[in-house]
Amino acid sequence: MRSLPDEVVQVEHVSKDFILHHNRVDSLKGKVVGLFKDRWRTRHEHFHALSDVSFTVRRGEAIGLMGRNGSGKSTLLQVIAGILKPTSGRVITRGRVAPLIELGVGFHPELTGEENVYLNASLYGFRNKDVRTRFDDIVEFSELAHFIDTPVKNYSSGMYMRLAFAIAVHLEPDVLLADEILAVGDAAFQEKCHDRIASLRRNGMSIVLVSHNEQQVRDFCNSFVRLDGGRVVETGTFRTKTAHAG
Amino acid sequence: MAKTLEHIPLSAPSAGGLRSLLAYSDMLRNFVRKDIQVRYQGAALGFLWSLINPLVMIGLYVFVFSDVFKSTLPNYPLYLMAGLLHWNLFSQITGQSCDTLLANAGLVKKIYFPRLLVPISSVVFNVVLWLLAIALLFILYPFLGGKLHPVLAAYPVVLLFFLAFTFGVTLILSVLNVLFRDLKHLVDVILLFLFWVTPIVYQYHRIPPHLRELFALSPLVDYVLIFRGILYSGQLPDWHILAMAVAWTVASLALGLFIFNRYADSLVERL
Ligand SMILES: Nc1ncnc2c1ncn2[C@@H]1O[C@H](COP(=O)(O)OP(=O)(O)O)[C@@H](O)[C@H]1O
Ligand SMILES: [Mg+2]
Repeated sequence: MRSLPDEVVQVEHVSKDFILHHNRVDSLKGKVVGLFKDRWRTRHEHFHALSDVSFTVRRGEAIGLMGRNGSGKSTLLQVIAGILKPTSGRVITRGRVAPLIELGVGFHPELTGEENVYLNASLYGFRNKDVRTRFDDIVEFSELAHFIDTPVKNYSSGMYMRLAFAIAVHLEPDVLLADEILAVGDAAFQEKCHDRIASLRRNGMSIVLVSHNEQQVRDFCNSFVRLDGGRVVETGTFRTKTAHAG
Repeated sequence: MAKTLEHIPLSAPSAGGLRSLLAYSDMLRNFVRKDIQVRYQGAALGFLWSLINPLVMIGLYVFVFSDVFKSTLPNYPLYLMAGLLHWNLFSQITGQSCDTLLANAGLVKKIYFPRLLVPISSVVFNVVLWLLAIALLFILYPFLGGKLHPVLAAYPVVLLFFLAFTFGVTLILSVLNVLFRDLKHLVDVILLFLFWVTPIVYQYHRIPPHLRELFALSPLVDYVLIFRGILYSGQLPDWHILAMAVAWTVASLALGLFIFNRYADSLVERL
């Protein structure tokens, strides 16, 4: 294992403003007409999606992000992943960060399961040769050995998710950012996913888990951060759970 | 307040800039392979389709200019191909690369990878398709009346500069296209216009003298003259045309990289 400092994610006073483009026209014609006609002009409004959010995730820790729809959870994950730049504040991450904001990002329906495994993993910065060594494990985990050489457009949505999840948990990230994606497949497969995540955590993986489901957060996480309107309104720990080992 | 975001990509700890791009070389490979595979899936002639379009174009122009307009230029097919194939490269890349960021919005908003890989993979994809056409030109070269001049050795270097120029244009267009979604239509019109003000199917000296200075401002004119100099006449054009081509390339690449690096990240939320 690489020796990393204990704090793998440090979110420090992060704020994120979106500019809301009311009446937005993204066309040349619209922009030109907007110079003369009020009705065509775009009104801009600064919208504070995140305001002064701070917290730290340590190695092996799992932190639950809770809050209502629109409270800024997904935006926060995107900022941690480096996809969005914070308007102010900063995020420091150490090690490999794997954002699972949506499962199967980059899957192409016309490609086979196998081709999509390589494509998807490479989007996360994995070399093909590293994927090759894990390929059998991924296929076995997904239980799709029989379908791996058929195009994923013929997969059921459950199969699609299983393949995507199998790839994700074999990337061996240091930090997994999961956005409401842990309800994959049937009960047996979910159980397997949870076991796999538990074993990754014993090896030092940290998780930031976004979920509506309080029970799921309780099962998975040792602490939580609750957002409302882009602000942290509550933080806490679950004393009963101590999955920290490593 | 500090505004830095120290982000370490997945498989390349402490990488930055070029090194992190190299770490993603397999992504580029997989991406281009996917695009080619998807494009030619189920097509009986597959890859050969990328040849049919230029061949038909060349056939038509040869017919129109040799038989209808009675052009007396020797080896007109070679003359035409030297300009046309490189024009095709430019127009295909710029025409198709406009909406790369939009087309890949789903990816770019959900996974972090160096954003530059999006336009790069679009350019590489088009270059791969084009390789077949240029290979054909070199195979036919002796039969079309081409001679083995020493200046042919300059071809790879010029091609590299031309690609760098085109890449710069692509970067600028892909950023602008997020702000003006109908840019592609404008680009199509400009490409059509540029095609006819570039001496590709006709000769440079057919341009009325008072307009020549104006036409020569176009980097495409410079490059077509250079490519034809190498492949057709066997000599490089005047040094000032070479200098213009280099200047355009440096300007385009510098501006493109600057704009892309400056704006690509903040454009993500507008995709
Ligand atoms: N790219 C964007 N442009 C403008 N507003 C956005 C953008 N992304 C998210 N928002 C807004 O930010 C707020 C927080 O969204 P989000 O982080 O997705 O919430 P959650 O995941 O907690 O449901 C919402 O009001 C949403 O409309
Ligand atoms: Mg969300």
